[in-house]
Amino acid sequence: MKSKNRKQCAECKKSSTDHLTRLGIHSGKYDFTVALAGNPNTGKSTVFNRLTGLHQHTGNWPGKTVTRAEGGFIYQEKRYKLIDLPGTYSLLSNTRDEEIARNYILFGQPDVTIIVVDSTRLERNLNLVLQILEITEKAVVCLNLVDEASRHQLKIDEKKLMRDLGVPVIPTSARNGDGIPKLLQGIHEVVHGIYPCKPHRIRIESEQLKNAIDTLVGKLDEIYPDLPNTRWVALRLIEGDQSIIQAIKNGTFKNLVFDQTKKEEVIVA
Amino acid sequence: MINVIYVMLAIAVTIIFIAYLFHPKKGLIYRIQRVRQNIQRRFIEDALKHNYHCETQQLACTIQSLAGALSFNIDRTTKLISRLEELSLIKLNGKGLHLTSQGRRYALGIIRTHRLWELYLANETGIDEIEWHSIAEIEEHKLTEDEMDKIAEIMRYPRFDPHGAPIPTKTGEIPPKKTIPMTELNVGDYARIVSVEDEPKTIYAQITALGLCQGMEIHILEHTPQKIRFAAEGDESVLAPLIAANINVNLLQRKPHIRTSKYTLADLDPGKQGTVIGISTRIRGQQRRRLMDIGIIPGTLIASQIRSPGGDPTAYEIRGALIALRRKQARQIYIDPKKKTGDQR
Amino acid sequence: MNTSNNREIKNDKDSILELANSLRWDVGPNYYDELMESIYKDAAKIADNAISIADEKTGFDWDRFLDKLLTSRVSGFPIMLLILAIVLWITVAGANIPSGWLSTLFLDKLHPVLSDFAITIGMSWWLKGILIDGMYLAMAWVVSVMLPPMAIFFPLFTLLEDFGLLPRVAFNLDNLFKKAGAHGKQALSMSMGFGCNAAGIIATRIIDSPREKLIAIITNNFALCNGRWPTQILIATLFIGALVPPAIAGFISAMAVVFIALLGILLTFLSSWFLSKTILRGEVSTFSLELPPYRPPQILRTLYTSLIDRTIFVLWRAIVFAIPAGAVIWLLANIQVNEVSLAEHIIQGLDPFGVLIGLNGVILLAYIIAIPANEIVIPTILMLTVLSKTLTGFGEGAGVMFEFEDLSSYQTVFAAGGWTLLTAINLMLFSLMHNPCSTTLYTIYKESRSVRWTVVSALLPLLLGILMCLITAQVYLLFV
Ligand SMILES: Nc1nc2c(ncn2[C@@H]2O[C@H](COP(=O)(O)OP(=O)(O)OP(=O)(O)O)[C@@H](O)[C@H]2O)c(=O)[nH]1
Ligand SMILES: [Mg+2]
Repeated sequence: MKSKNRKQCAECKKSSTDHLTRLGIHSGKYDFTVALAGNPNTGKSTVFNRLTGLHQHTGNWPGKTVTRAEGGFIYQEKRYKLIDLPGTYSLLSNTRDEEIARNYILFGQPDVTIIVVDSTRLERNLNLVLQILEITEKAVVCLNLVDEASRHQLKIDEKKLMRDLGVPVIPTSARNGDGIPKLLQGIHEVVHGIYPCKPHRIRIESEQLKNAIDTLVGKLDEIYPDLPNTRWVALRLIEGDQSIIQAIKNGTFKNLVFDQTKKEEVIVA
Repeated sequence: MINVIYVMLAIAVTIIFIAYLFHPKKGLIYRIQRVRQNIQRRFIEDALKHNYHCETQQLACTIQSLAGALSFNIDRTTKLISRLEELSLIKLNGKGLHLTSQGRRYALGIIRTHRLWELYLANETGIDEIEWHSIAEIEEHKLTEDEMDKIAEIMRYPRFDPHGAPIPTKTGEIPPKKTIPMTELNVGDYARIVSVEDEPKTIYAQITALGLCQGMEIHILEHTPQKIRFAAEGDESVLAPLIAANINVNLLQRKPHIRTSKYTLADLDPGKQGTVIGISTRIRGQQRRRLMDIGIIPGTLIASQIRSPGGDPTAYEIRGALIALRRKQARQIYIDPKKKTGDQR
Repeated sequence: MNTSNNREIKNDKDSILELANSLRWDVGPNYYDELMESIYKDAAKIADNAISIADEKTGFDWDRFLDKLLTSRVSGFPIMLLILAIVLWITVAGANIPSGWLSTLFLDKLHPVLSDFAITIGMSWWLKGILIDGMYLAMAWVVSVMLPPMAIFFPLFTLLEDFGLLPRVAFNLDNLFKKAGAHGKQALSMSMGFGCNAAGIIATRIIDSPREKLIAIITNNFALCNGRWPTQILIATLFIGALVPPAIAGFISAMAVVFIALLGILLTFLSSWFLSKTILRGEVSTFSLELPPYRPPQILRTLYTSLIDRTIFVLWRAIVFAIPAGAVIWLLANIQVNEVSLAEHIIQGLDPFGVLIGLNGVILLAYIIAIPANEIVIPTILMLTVLSKTLTGFGEGAGVMFEFEDLSSYQTVFAAGGWTLLTAINLMLFSLMHNPCSTTLYTIYKESRSVRWTVVSALLPLLLGILMCLITAQVYLLFV
C-alpha cells in the first residue's frame, strides 16, 4: 500500500504545473461530478487513471471495465468526482452495460460528460457521441489515441469537429499523458459555462418518427418545463424505456434512486 | 448405551422423513398435489382454448372435438366438461359447448400469456423459432397473471406476437385484424406478412423452413390453382395454396423498398467485400439492435477479413473496426457483393 | 386544493404514458432502423469533414499480417500454444532464483533471529509458537514460494493483454465454445481467470445471455488462477523436472504445467458442454466481438506497474489469509488430545481416503485450511509436515531449523512426508480441480444471486477432482 502512495505523490509533483492534484479514491465533498463515457476500449480507464492517480485495470480488449469506478481530483481549486463507466456501442439498446451508462448520464446528471473517442475509428465512435449529445448539453469530446492515429497516417481536424459537434474536442494520448492539461481546461470551461455548448442534434429523416417525437415533446414541455433533454426523453418513451417510465410514474426526473438492490449502480443525482 | 444412540438416531431420521413428506411448501406430498393441480389446470385451460378457437373460426365445438383436441376418451372428457360447468366457464347447450363470458375472459388470458411468452422468447432469447410454440404451450399454464403483467410491461405492451397474431390486452380486448390470406393476392401484388398461423404444426414448420416470418415483404410472381410463386427477402419460393392460406398478409399500396438480395454476408469469403442492403426481418429485438449498433446499416461497406481456424466466426471490417460474427448471424445480413469501390460506407 | 393538484399531475403523467404508447404504434416497428440510419448518416458526414488521410496505406499492414498469422488454420493454435509455453517457461526458469533468495532471507536468516529475540524477551513458548512458528512462518512461505512466480507470470500476461492477444484467442476458440453450447466471450473471462478466478467471474458480465453467463461462471474455476500457478510450478519443478537431466529440467517442468493448464481448458469445454446438455440447456445466443488493433505495449511501464500491483495483491492476501491460517495450523499441531496433536488426529482420519485417491491426509487437511485462499496450500502442507514431528520425524515442533537455500530443500520436506511421484501428479490435478476459494465463491454468489449455482460451482470441480485423482491413482498403482 505504501509504495502505491509514494508513486502517486511522484506523479502529484509532476502534475502540479497544470494545477492538478490527484485524489485517488478520497471521498468527501465535491464541487462537480464528471462521467467518462465512450465506446469500449477507447481508453476511458486510462484517462480515469491519469486524472485520479488510481490504478483501474486497463487492457486492449473491449469489455475490460464492467463495474463503475469512482475517483477524485482537484483542478484549479475545485474538487471533481470522476466516474468511469463501462464502454458501450450505443445507448439505445437495453443491455445492462448500456443501462448503467445511460441512466447515469440521464439521471445522475453529471456536470460534464467526457466522451472518450478512438480517433482511429472516428465514424463509428461518433454514433455514440451523437447519442450522448442528445441527452446532455455539457460534454467534452476527448479524441484519444491520437498517437495511434498518426501511426496509421490519419489526420483529424479537431477544429472542424468541434464546430460540427458544438462541444470542445481535445486530442489526447492518454497513455502518454499528452493533451491531459488541455482536457482539464476543457472540463473547466464547460462546467463554468465559459465554453457555450451548442451540441449537434441528430437529423431524423423519417417524417413519421419526427412527428411522433414532436407531439410528445410538446406534451412533455407542457408538463415538465425545466426538462433539458425532452427530445431524448420522448424518444425513449416511444421506445418504452422502463427506467424513464418508472421515473415519470413515481416523481420527477431529479433525485432519483434506482433499484436499491443493485448497490453499485445506485444512482443519485 | 449404544442402543440409546441408535434409538435416538432412528427417531431423528423418522422426524426428518416425516418433515420431508409433510412440509407445507417443500414437502413431497405438497409437491405431488401441486403437480396434480397443475395437470388439472392444464386440461381446463386447454379445453377453454379449444373452445375459444372453435368460436373464432366459427366451428362447432362438441364433446367429440374437445376429446380429439385433448386426446382424451369420451368418459374423461365428460368429466372435465362437468368440472368446467361447475366452475361456470362453459355452458353445455344441446351438443354444443359454449364459453360463458367468464370462460372467454379466462381463455383470452391464456392466449395472452401464450403470445406474450412467444414474443419474449423471440425477442430476448436465442431460442429457435420452431421451439417457441411448444415452450409457450407449457409456460402458459404456469405463469401467473402478475408475472405476465410484468412481462408485458418489459416488452412494452406489444400488440402482436412473433407470428403476427394479436395479443389480447389485460382486459381481454383484441386488436382488430384487417388481413387477408395470401391466397387472395394477385400476380404483381406487393404485401407484408402480418401473421403466420402457428397451427397445424406441420404446415407451420414448412413455412418457417422457407424462412418466412411476420414483417416480411413479399411480391407475387405467379398464382395458379396449384401454386403461388413469390419473392421474399431475395429468395423465390413456391407454396401450395393450402399452405399459403395459413399466411395472413396486408396488401401494400406502393412498391415497398425491399432491402434484400440473394447474397448474404456469409457468402463473402475473406478478401471480398460488399455493401449492406439490409438485415433480415427474421432477426428481431435485441439481436437486430446489436447488429445496427456495431454499424451494420444499409449502405455500409463491409470487407470480409479473416476466418477463425475452426471455420466459423469470421471477422469483418465494418466502419473501420474488425468485428467477428458467427455464420448464423452473417447469413441474415443481405449484401450486394458487386459494389466493389465507391464511397467508403 | 393540494389533492386536486396532485390528481392533475397524476393525470398528466398517465396521459404522457398513454400518448407514448399510442405513438409507439404509429411509428411502427421499423423506427429503430430509421433512427440508426439517421444517426450514422450524420456521423459519416461529420467524420468525413474532419478526417484526412495523409498517405493511402503506406508500408506494410502489420495488423492484418499478424491477424492472418494468429488466426490461420495452420498456425493459429500452434502459436497460441507456443506463447503459453514460453510464458510458463520464463516463469518457471525465472522464479527459482528469487524464490531461493527470499527463502534464505525469511527462513534461514530472519526466522532464527526472531526466535532468539522471542526467547530473550522471555516470551512464553506458546506465544512464540503462534507468532513466529505459526503466523510468521506461514507468511514467509507464502511470500517466498508464491510471490516470485506470480510476479513474473502476471506482468507477462498483462503485456500480452495490452498487445491485443486476448480477443484473438477468443476468436480462435469461439467455434469450440459454440459446439460446447457456450458463448465465445467465455474465452475472455477464462483468460481473466488465469489471473484470479474472482476477477474472471466478474468479467463474465460481458456475456449477455444469462444461461451462457452461468456456464462461464461455473466453469471459470478450471482456469488455473494466480494462487495455483505457483503450486503447479513448484511441484512440477521438484518432481517432474527431477525425472530428467538437469539441462532440460526447466523445459520439462514448464511442459508439465502447460499440460495441466491445457487440461483445465479442455475441462472447461467438456464441463460447459455437459452443463449445456443437462441443467443449463438452451440455444447458443449470438456473438459479436470487436477485435481491437494491436497496440504496442509500453513494456517497461507495464512491467513495473503490474509487478507492483501483483506484489501488493499477494502481500495483502498473505496478510489477510496466511497469517490467521498460520496461527490455526500451529494450534492444530500443538494442541494435544490423548498425547497426540489435533492435526495428527485429523490427518490420520483423512489419510485412508487421501491415500485411496493418491494424495494423503496432510494434503487434504491443507485444502480444508486453504479454503479462504489457494495461495496457502503449499505453505500449509509444508508447515503441517514440519510441525507434525511424530508423523515425519523431520522437525522439532517449535524449534525447527531450516535450510532453504534452494528449492531442493523443499524436496527433503516432501520426502520426509512420504511423497511419491503419484502424490505430486495428483496434487497437480487436485490443485486444478477442487472447490474455488471462498472469495471466488462469494463472487459467484454475488453474480448469480443463487445459492444453488454457488453450490454447483463448488461441488462440480471438487467431485471431478476426486474422481480424476482416484482414477490416476489406480492406474498408477497398476504399473508401479
Ligand atoms: N497507444 C495508446 N494506447 C492507449 C491510449 N490510451 C489507452 N491506450 C491503451 O488502450 C487500451 C484500452 O484502454 P482502456 O483504458 O482499458 O479502455 P476502456 O475505454 O476503459 O475500455 P473498456 O473498459 O473495455 O470500455 C489499453 O491497452 C491502453 O493501454 C493512448 O492514448 N495511446
Ligand atoms: Mg475501462
